[in-house]
Amino acid sequence: MSGGLRAQAGTLREAVHAEWTKLRTVPSTGWLLLTMIMLVAGVGALATEVVKCPATCSQDTTKLSLTGIQLGQAAVAVLAVLAMSSEYSSGMIRITLTAMPRRLTALAAKAIVLAGAVLAAGAVATAGSVLAGRYILPGNGFTGAYHSETLSLAAGSTLRAAGGSVLYLALIALFSLGLATALRDSGAAIAVMLGLLYIVPLLTDLGSLDPRWQHRLQEWGPMTAGLAIQATRGLKTLPIGPWPGLGVLALWAAWALLVGGLLLCLRDA
Amino acid sequence: MSTGTITPYRSGQRPGRDDFAHLLRSEWTKFRTVRGWVIAMIAAAALAVLAVVALAAAASGGQNPAADPAAPANIGPDSPTVAIGPGGEAVTDDFYFVHQSLDGNGSITARVTSLASSMRPGEAPPGETTPRGPQPWAKAGIIIKASTTPGSAYAAVMATPGHGVRMQWNYTGDTAGLPGAVSAASPRWLRLTRSGDTITGYDSADGSHWTQIGTATLAGLPQTVQAGLLVAAPYNLVATENFASNTVTLLPTQATAVFDRVGLSGGHPGATWSAGNVGRAIGQKVKVFSTGKKMTLADSLVRSGGTFRVTGYGGDIAPYVTAEDPLGTVLKATALGLIAVIALGALFITAEYRRGLIRTTFAASPRRGRVLAAKAIVIGVVTFVAGLVGAAVAVPIAERKLHSGGWVSSVYPIWSLTSAHGVQIVVGTAGLLAVAAILALSAGAVLRRSAGAIAAVVVLVIVPLILAVILPQGPGLWVLRLTPAAGFGVQRGIPQYSQVMHVCEPHNGCFPLAPWTGFAVSCAWAAAALGLAVYLLRRRDA
Repeated sequence: MSGGLRAQAGTLREAVHAEWTKLRTVPSTGWLLLTMIMLVAGVGALATEVVKCPATCSQDTTKLSLTGIQLGQAAVAVLAVLAMSSEYSSGMIRITLTAMPRRLTALAAKAIVLAGAVLAAGAVATAGSVLAGRYILPGNGFTGAYHSETLSLAAGSTLRAAGGSVLYLALIALFSLGLATALRDSGAAIAVMLGLLYIVPLLTDLGSLDPRWQHRLQEWGPMTAGLAIQATRGLKTLPIGPWPGLGVLALWAAWALLVGGLLLCLRDA
Repeated sequence: MSTGTITPYRSGQRPGRDDFAHLLRSEWTKFRTVRGWVIAMIAAAALAVLAVVALAAAASGGQNPAADPAAPANIGPDSPTVAIGPGGEAVTDDFYFVHQSLDGNGSITARVTSLASSMRPGEAPPGETTPRGPQPWAKAGIIIKASTTPGSAYAAVMATPGHGVRMQWNYTGDTAGLPGAVSAASPRWLRLTRSGDTITGYDSADGSHWTQIGTATLAGLPQTVQAGLLVAAPYNLVATENFASNTVTLLPTQATAVFDRVGLSGGHPGATWSAGNVGRAIGQKVKVFSTGKKMTLADSLVRSGGTFRVTGYGGDIAPYVTAEDPLGTVLKATALGLIAVIALGALFITAEYRRGLIRTTFAASPRRGRVLAAKAIVIGVVTFVAGLVGAAVAVPIAERKLHSGGWVSSVYPIWSLTSAHGVQIVVGTAGLLAVAAILALSAGAVLRRSAGAIAAVVVLVIVPLILAVILPQGPGLWVLRLTPAAGFGVQRGIPQYSQVMHVCEPHNGCFPLAPWTGFAVSCAWAAAALGLAVYLLRRRDA
């Protein structure tokens, strides 16, 4: 970016700074990220607490300790939706776009700031749930013959599952931001977002469906595909591999940001 | 103390706007005049109907052996035989029967002095050495049956290891008699009397003091029926968990009962007892778990004087139960409508906060609890009506789609909308939507932000259904008992029979609580949230 444009339009760096100030000075940001951390670590700890080894030794303990992501992602979605739609409900968007007439740059700055905040908080949350699992699981009999190694980020698959879960949360934030940019209303955006996330696992975790349909839905559902990153056992039975699954979620997020960005440029604010 | 009476000032105008009917009317006007909300409510119902119907079309039974258990392709040497009972439902009618003809009215009496039920020797599943206890629903008793044809009408009185004496009739009927297990010290006397189509069952601990358990009317019972002794040893079900899925293992059992004081009045003079298995050829080979080989396990009758020692291998006389619930599964697609309804419920109050309308509302009607009550009634009733219409359209279409997709109606019934179970599904679904809307309204009043309220209620109502499947079975069932998702149990599409052993698995759509009990749990959540919302509304500034 050339320095000449600086005076009129501002650089991405300045936009990021502005967005960061907006995000950090709203009290709801802290509360939502804290809620997310509590949900991820708390539910993860609870899930590892209730499994007992002699009964269910073949559990994927890594995945189980990351169960909280399924709830915590809702707080991330709220955060990302509010980052955009609260500007529309308060009229702030007109000031934002006056200060930063390049709308795509403004959106990119929001995406960068959100992703950064969610990555940082997500790392804390995931580390917390893996730590909880590390201390709780051996007490429940996950030792010795069945599970010789304790849950540790040093293990490649556990690191992939935990790190991938952090990326998953960031992609959920970007996906929600794109949707909120397209829909503008916070209620509509969060309802559509949570509907897209939860409906596929709700229907395909149950029996009775045609297996081919089940497979296809799980392969393309943003949540079922994205959370494949958490699996460390039985990878061959997954409908989609860990990294391709996260790729599917990235496609959803990219598509939402594309549509949102396009509408942002075309519509009046 | 004043001596005169001072009349406080009263305005000559009647208080017009503060009564509850007006409050309801103003809240209804607020809902009705926001075009987007009305459209969203109609769209939510339509979307849910479409999703349910599309899913029912996709849930083809052709892939699933459970869709038609009586189909020749699905009957293996070890699978239980399936017959059609008098009510058109699929039944298991496979038991060891020691019988005589009974002409016209008469009665049969017997004393059960022992009933031993156990896993068959050498049948422990791989890796398991602990022997299992008795099958709680093993059966030893007396029966009057229209014929020896599988699926024919009957009434029976029997002792069981886990559920005391029962009178059962026509596969689905079940009434409890004397409690406790049978032993030589505490035998059970059983009696059945026939009078026309009516059969009455009695039990007694001593053979002189008889108690009537119940009566059964078997329509069209022929003149000559078969009366005698019955022994059945149903499978023991054991749930084992894997990282990917839970499986239920069927463990074959055997049961041996000792009868004496057998008396038959109304039989043919000089007739003898004949023994045979209903629904299975005698000497059929059964696969043994441990060896994988097939061996012949013939049911047997040993008589010495007046004592009958009867051993049965496998079998049951009961409704055929399946773990699959295709209708309940496809009805989960109503969650799409549910999310929309949750959004509307939250917006019904958060929109007032955002626009500042809430201050006008409270200025006009200062009693805030009543305002929230009026809002809850309006959003609840509107949602209930939309849900009722949607469910009444979706359920019959989905049932027919499932039926034409191969799910047989003898196992997966097509409920009429006027039948008790049909009403449960349709009214329960509408009620669940209304309860979720009120929960969302309360969350909206507490949090005052639409996105947070919507997300919180979705996480409370819908995510537990997903968690219940992921978690191990025990904790998964607790999730379905304690969270607002318990109410989804009203959508169960197959009948539940307590007289058949079953394993409740969340991934098959099973809910641990009875349908309306689960619904009450959801209602309790909504009531508690509404109470909290009223408390906070009164305490906080608007």
